[in-house]
Amino acid sequence: MAELALQARPKRKMIYVLRDFITKPENIILLLTVVILGFFTVYPVVLLVSNTLKVNIADLFYPELFGKKVGSFTTFHWKRMLFSDMSSTYFWVPLKNAVIMSLLASIIAILFGGVVAFLITRTDLKFKKFFSTVFIFPYIMPSWTIATFWINFFQNPKIGNFQSGMLYYITGITVPESFVYGLVPCAIVLGLHYAPFAYILIGGILRNMDANLEEAATILKATRAKIIRKITLPIVLPALMSTFLLVFSSSMSAYAVPQFLGGTGGFRVLTTTLKQFITNGWYGQGYIMAIFMIIFGLAILGVNQRVTGKRKNFTTVTGKSGQISYIKLGVWKWIAAVILIVMCSFCSFMPLVSFALESCTMIPGDYSTLTLKFWIDPGYPLQNGLHGLFHETQVWSAFRNSIVLSLSCSLIAGTVGILIGYAVSKRRGSRLAKAADNLAFLPYLMPSMAMGAAFLAIGAAMGLSKTMALLVLVGAIKYLPFASRSGINAMLQLSGEIEEAALIVNVPWWKRMLKIIFPIQKSTFISGYLLPFTSCMRELSLFTLLSSGSIYLMTTLLEYWQIWCSQSANALNLLIVVTVLVINLLVNKLTGASIDKGVGG
Amino acid sequence: MKKLVALVLVFALVCGFAFANAATEAVADTVEAKIAKGQTLSDAELLALAKEESGDFYAYGNSSRVANAMKGFIAKYGEELGLNENNAVGTKMNDAEIYSTITQEATGSSAKVASVVMIQDGAQLVMYRSASDMFLNYVPGAVAGVLDKGDVLPLVHQYINKLFIWNVLGDNVPVITNVWQLTEPGLKDRIFFKNPTTEQVNNNFLIMCTSDEWAKKLADAYKSYYGKDIQLGSYKNAGYKWVAEFLANVNFSVSSDTTICNTVASAESAGNMGLFVLSKTRDLDATLKANLQVGAFTEAQIDPFSGFMYPLYVQMTKAANRPYTAMLFINYLMTSEGFKPWGGAGTNILGAYSTNPAIGAAEGDQAIDFWKECLVAEDAAYIMQNRTVVSDFINAEIAKK
Amino acid sequence: MPEIRLEHVTKRFEKFVAVDDLNLHIDERDFITLLGPSGCGKTTTLRMIAGLETPTEGKITIGDKVVFDAATGINVSPAKRDIGFLFQNYALWPHMTVYQNIAFGLENLKWKKEDIKVRVQEMLEMLRIEEFVGRYPAELSGGQQQRVAIARTLAPKPQVLFMDEPLSNLDAKLRSEMRTELKRLHSDSNSTFVYVTHDQLEAMTLATKICLMEKGVLQQYDPPLTVYSQPANRFVADFVGNPTMNFINAAVKKEGADTIVEFLGVKAKFTPNDKKEAIDASEVVLGIRPEFFTIRDDGKIHATAYSTLPSGMETTVKVKLADELVSSVVFGAIDYKVDQAIRCDIIGNQICIFDKGTTKRVSIGALEVL
Repeated sequence: MAELALQARPKRKMIYVLRDFITKPENIILLLTVVILGFFTVYPVVLLVSNTLKVNIADLFYPELFGKKVGSFTTFHWKRMLFSDMSSTYFWVPLKNAVIMSLLASIIAILFGGVVAFLITRTDLKFKKFFSTVFIFPYIMPSWTIATFWINFFQNPKIGNFQSGMLYYITGITVPESFVYGLVPCAIVLGLHYAPFAYILIGGILRNMDANLEEAATILKATRAKIIRKITLPIVLPALMSTFLLVFSSSMSAYAVPQFLGGTGGFRVLTTTLKQFITNGWYGQGYIMAIFMIIFGLAILGVNQRVTGKRKNFTTVTGKSGQISYIKLGVWKWIAAVILIVMCSFCSFMPLVSFALESCTMIPGDYSTLTLKFWIDPGYPLQNGLHGLFHETQVWSAFRNSIVLSLSCSLIAGTVGILIGYAVSKRRGSRLAKAADNLAFLPYLMPSMAMGAAFLAIGAAMGLSKTMALLVLVGAIKYLPFASRSGINAMLQLSGEIEEAALIVNVPWWKRMLKIIFPIQKSTFISGYLLPFTSCMRELSLFTLLSSGSIYLMTTLLEYWQIWCSQSANALNLLIVVTVLVINLLVNKLTGASIDKGVGG
Repeated sequence: MKKLVALVLVFALVCGFAFANAATEAVADTVEAKIAKGQTLSDAELLALAKEESGDFYAYGNSSRVANAMKGFIAKYGEELGLNENNAVGTKMNDAEIYSTITQEATGSSAKVASVVMIQDGAQLVMYRSASDMFLNYVPGAVAGVLDKGDVLPLVHQYINKLFIWNVLGDNVPVITNVWQLTEPGLKDRIFFKNPTTEQVNNNFLIMCTSDEWAKKLADAYKSYYGKDIQLGSYKNAGYKWVAEFLANVNFSVSSDTTICNTVASAESAGNMGLFVLSKTRDLDATLKANLQVGAFTEAQIDPFSGFMYPLYVQMTKAANRPYTAMLFINYLMTSEGFKPWGGAGTNILGAYSTNPAIGAAEGDQAIDFWKECLVAEDAAYIMQNRTVVSDFINAEIAKK
Repeated sequence: MPEIRLEHVTKRFEKFVAVDDLNLHIDERDFITLLGPSGCGKTTTLRMIAGLETPTEGKITIGDKVVFDAATGINVSPAKRDIGFLFQNYALWPHMTVYQNIAFGLENLKWKKEDIKVRVQEMLEMLRIEEFVGRYPAELSGGQQQRVAIARTLAPKPQVLFMDEPLSNLDAKLRSEMRTELKRLHSDSNSTFVYVTHDQLEAMTLATKICLMEKGVLQQYDPPLTVYSQPANRFVADFVGNPTMNFINAAVKKEGADTIVEFLGVKAKFTPNDKKEAIDASEVVLGIRPEFFTIRDDGKIHATAYSTLPSGMETTVKVKLADELVSSVVFGAIDYKVDQAIRCDIIGNQICIFDKGTTKRVSIGALEVL
């Protein structure tokens, strides 16, 4: 016995360690995830950077590049973007505009969303149930819904293309051009779009906040104002900061709103400038723009992770939080309710009404000329070259493309998400699992449009440009974070013993997944499929650089129509928004999942 | 782990290149050879060769009329070629998309390829032709002799014009006789014009205004309008000055020529005008048409130009899968029957002028020589040299708005 | 040091009645526990007196001030009732240090800075948490947080202190330590304590009076030992005491002047302590505490031992008597074999008789086995 104790213990042979590793499915999944996702995260960025140093055909017009060969090395793009006379027009001014617009939007979102959250959780406002359902709508509807409605509403014969709008038609009031196109409306519309997001985050904290914290302060004789200042606000602060950062970063990478509402003059932001570069074939400069967008996005979200990680979560959910005493508003509860109803309608119902009306007017903005021609006229093309919406083949082929794309993305993202969830939860804590988890979350941090640009570069390099395959690839990767979060959460809720019980009686891995694990956590897994589907149906900025004349999606078709046929565009807009709302409603009813409960995309 | 990732990266890169290269090589030689052969053949001989080809036939153009032309082509030859509206399609795409799509298709990895494109913006086309071989020129034997020298390489199918057109209703009709009127403060936001950053031919027009020839004419027009010499200030020449002041007055809120046409023609648009494609007036009904007055058709016309014109080119692609069909199609396009969707003699569609002298102008329109006198034309060489400088200038001016 | 009076206090949440017509009088310097099972209304009652809930009906007086009266619409806010409230989960403000938590109430009272410092130091010493003064609540253990919460509540010297199950989040050992602390604090601070708990042992050991509630209705309001030995009804008898009282259905007969009860094959004579009490019913429920159902070699009841649970100091024996199980507690560590024949007896004069229908206690006295 003693001799054995003195001998060095033999190490397991490497080959056996490897064999053990390979035979476990979770290890293979993690390995594949790390390799494939690592490739598709690192490679596009590498391509982006390398393309900013190459000469493209469209660049040969520049005097500095006359006579160079296509594909040769040059630092011209960087110089031009950052250090030339035109840097201001093409880079610094769009950057400044984007930052100001995003700042304003964040402030508006937090004020509006935060105040409503406070009113609903802490006062005796009327019609609370109504508000908490309807207030979310603007966030579920595509981001340009309020933007296009804004134009429909405020357009008047003194500005723009001198058409009438809803406000002018009903009341004759005209508003100046800077209120309809440019910085102010973009900031307001983005703020309204993200206000529900602020409401959810801030309201969540307020709701879960232990009522006792405020009661204890009351008993210790603090005034209402002091309680809000010294107790409620500091506790809500992490949520406020988080909201600010998330809304800021989302606004920085917003494309649809500044595209529709930016006007035709000098208001350009990073995203719209990027689109212009890519459309004109100036890939070098476009990719530089994309790189900066990525850096910004990563930096902001990095700060957010630190802020929310460091401060301990101040909410505890105890079983016995009693009724908080609501602040009595007196007569203000009716006044505030009415004001809120008006604002909610403006952001939720009125857009749909407006799209319906505008799509039926012969003369845009003039409601005395209503007709259903733009919807149902099958015959001769209408004056804008299209048939009535239901007979226009472009619409149905775009619809089909959108559905096919969304289905494919959601199937791929959802399934991979489940597998990743399974593997990460089984090997939780190991470095491999951490790497896979982080890589699967990374696409969420990249601004959509920059990601589109990056995959444009990949598409060109791999010969996939302008194909549906590229769209599916980028969509699947973009929505993977939703699905992998769902997958991981679902698996973490399952105790490992459930699978072990099946393992002991020799059930193979695929059967365990299919017949045991999946059915138990069905609803969480399914939300991992349905969230990508809904998001994909309403996505524009991700796909706008990648889809083209051959593959129209509903959203890119709208972008295309918006500029030249307003009635049909409004009809299409209505169709898209209603489709998204219906899908979200169905998904919500079936599984309880909803875009607003998602990771916040 | 890192090594593994690097290995995979390199592997993917290598595969991508190899694939792309292999595909392009296969197609390259044969199409050019076929073109050389096809230029000498008659329609019937081309038809016979086209019959042996297979696959779908695609053409891209930036107007929906390429689709109409395709329909006419199928009606004529479809049965014999086995083509119908499902496998022979004319697709409308804007110029930038056509260039990027053809670039992609030229790598040989696209399932769908176009054999023919109808495309604008000569400077860019010339640039692409010199920097790559994705566009190939084919001149139908039947017209090779009768075309103008300048319209042959690359082959010009037609000229299109954009004119100053104004609404005649109301008390404030902008009757233009001199382009410097367009820089007056009274016309601010009343001139509709498609944004040059998205419409390259508009951009080219503005570039041409800065050329020596037109700058001089603009300076003279200034003198004759204001009675004194032009003061350039910081502008390089009269052209730059005119472009800057013109852009300050332009209303960019409508982004399609069709809509501009409809907007300016509408009864509500008294006092407005536009610089847009003349042929868009074809779709207006009579009452709306009556609201418009084309500057070039007035007695005085406009000093020194009533608008501008630009060529529409036809090219074949390197990746073409049906070269002989393409050549037959181009032959068809150069005939008056093939030109019908755009206009020409026997139609009342204004604004399109075939380079084939056998095809006259439409009813109510003027012949191409008339237009060459009073419009600014594209000079590809000048534009290539000055595109970026002037475009930057234009972008900066627009940003000031 | 005021007294608290509740008159006809009722609380309704829509259709659900949480507290039903409660009348309560709490003397100065009492330590009252509100005891009862979950959902009986004790926390609601506590919160109503504190002002955190508004009663539907009734009148509440603290000292000589009416703080709530449904009839006249008076409803004084909790801030003005001069009370202290200790929450079940302590409600320490997570973004403030221990010092700031304790000082908060004093700042609101506009005390001078130096006075606040002195008082906070006093509290820290009293509760032995001086070393945590600069820490945040998240960095403290449960027991430490508990003491900080007490310090915060006591700092402004409230006249009445309300506590809502403050010990339920602590482990057993800490809980018994803190119980001792609280009892000492009560005698040191001279305040009135109102304490909510569902743990009858806690109530028994801490209170001067227990207010036992069930489904919103007051069951009994007496000192602990009275509640224990003279329960007002079956519910009270069952709730208090561990192991619980034995309830045995019995038939009552009168033989001459004697009242005879028959149960489980046993015949016994019942002598009430209060001669005036008489039992009219023919069927009653007997209530015998396990310590009064003792096992003796000379006992008159023949039974078998079903199982024994010796716990060192005493042994709980389940006795099988005529197919029913009766609990018995004997002192000492005695182990009986399963199914061993034993003999039992009923001792003492605290045997309760409950009315079968109303479950109220009808009489209490001695049982002599015949």
